[in-house]
Amino acid sequence: MKKPTQFDAIVVGAGPAGNACAYTMAKAGLKVLQIERGEYPGSKNVQGAILYAKALEEIIPNFRDDAPLERHIIEQRMWLLDENSFVGTHVRSEDYNKPPYNRYTIIRAQFDKWFSAKVREAGALLICETTVKHLIMDGDQVVGVQCDREAGDVYADVVVLADGVNSTLARKAGFHPEIPAGNVALAVKEILFMPEETIRQRFNIGEESGVVMELVGRITDGMVGTGFLYTNKESLTIGVGCMLSDFAKNPNRTSPYALLEQMKRHPSIAPLIEGGEMKEYCAHLIPEGGFHAIPKVYGNGWMIVGDSGGFVNSAHREGSNLAMTTGRLAAQTVIEAKAAGRGYRADSLYTYKKALDASFVMKDLHKYRDLPGVLHKSPQFFTSYPDMVAQAARTMITVDGVDKKTKERAIFAHLRKTRKLTGLVGDAFKLWKAIR
Amino acid sequence: MNTITVNVEEKLFQNRYRVDAGRPHIKIKDADVCTNVCVVKSCTFVCPASCYKVEGNGSVTLITDGCLECGSCRIICSDHFNVDWEYPRGGHGILFKFG
Repeated sequence: MKKPTQFDAIVVGAGPAGNACAYTMAKAGLKVLQIERGEYPGSKNVQGAILYAKALEEIIPNFRDDAPLERHIIEQRMWLLDENSFVGTHVRSEDYNKPPYNRYTIIRAQFDKWFSAKVREAGALLICETTVKHLIMDGDQVVGVQCDREAGDVYADVVVLADGVNSTLARKAGFHPEIPAGNVALAVKEILFMPEETIRQRFNIGEESGVVMELVGRITDGMVGTGFLYTNKESLTIGVGCMLSDFAKNPNRTSPYALLEQMKRHPSIAPLIEGGEMKEYCAHLIPEGGFHAIPKVYGNGWMIVGDSGGFVNSAHREGSNLAMTTGRLAAQTVIEAKAAGRGYRADSLYTYKKALDASFVMKDLHKYRDLPGVLHKSPQFFTSYPDMVAQAARTMITVDGVDKKTKERAIFAHLRKTRKLTGLVGDAFKLWKAIR
Repeated sequence: MNTITVNVEEKLFQNRYRVDAGRPHIKIKDADVCTNVCVVKSCTFVCPASCYKVEGNGSVTLITDGCLECGSCRIICSDHFNVDWEYPRGGHGILFKFG
């Protein structure tokens, strides 16, 4: 028997997706309950972390007034590394140093607390330290959630699942199966504190501006993955992530923390982080299956937003902006359904999917739909190619009496030995096809 | 890759936890499967908090106190489905200061 509804909507989780969703609904006057399992919003959440301004602007236009932002990004570095060297591109522009800034480094525990305060100001009720165990069903309709506290059954017209990459609730309810290890990356990272002045000097930046670095090559021990290094105000975030399936079958049985430690000791990276005081070590899964891995994200009385629905564009390292956008679009679906009095069955919540398809979220995921598959089958992009580039550059630059023509021949001979010409052309074509 | 010795306990020591004493949120369903059936025991090197350890007799022990709640162990146990994985009770487990 259906219990009396207590809320218009319940949002499970207080990350970017849940907060965007709860905020948008509460702002529209809906009665919203948000449930978070951590001690405070952010205490269970891990991200690199880069905040893309646009997605948040759509929700809180003047967020820059009081959001805890670390540095706006004026320079992006992309490094290919072999054992002892790197070859890199650095893109830096004064255009990125003019407000309104496009992206920022953030510290998630602080940012999520701020966002959550906005959600509560907007009128949503937040309950922390509460884990949702199951969805409550009435026939085929989700009507509420069962929490791990006394009298913990709560009822609502619709439940929005913003419960993160493990997507525990939808899995238990049978809405989708377990996420395969080939569709998630396992990332570990550390935060290293050092004086602000040191960061400014080492990275050639000002008081507010910052640098992001992406690292590809030997640092992932033959696995498909990347490393990263971001500048915060008074700290650096350094981390590395690889496909979980690659970790599991790595013949060296390399642990994630050994991988990170090895990367920190790379001669090109060690001087950048030297003296940093490690204050926290985190691990997190990132859903990287892309377009083909997105499960059904709505049904009778439920919707999935953010990481829980696999909304990550791994090609561009975007996640939190997709999370916020999917949260906002789910909220708008609920607001419209309530206004129209059309109920919360799947045929009403279907407009969420339509809105997703019309947005950059599904358009971008569709554009890169074949990239996860191509990269997964082509570890050479993360192993032999960075090695070759670094070696070729080193050979050409070294002045040692060998003439340049001979050097070129040696480089091409090495290239052909590492990968047949057909392989090279095939890789270039596959990659071009997957990202065009 | 050159194998380097890393003491993950030193890293975990920097983290803040509220351990739910006596109520581990992850359990090995059937210890015998780990000991006698599973050969790779990938949880023992993939777990980023090194919660899983192989003992001398080939058995696998699990201590969840340092768990970072990532979910890797559950997902990679796809041949045996031998990990009973839940989030900790509300307010317990890892409490990220920075995230």
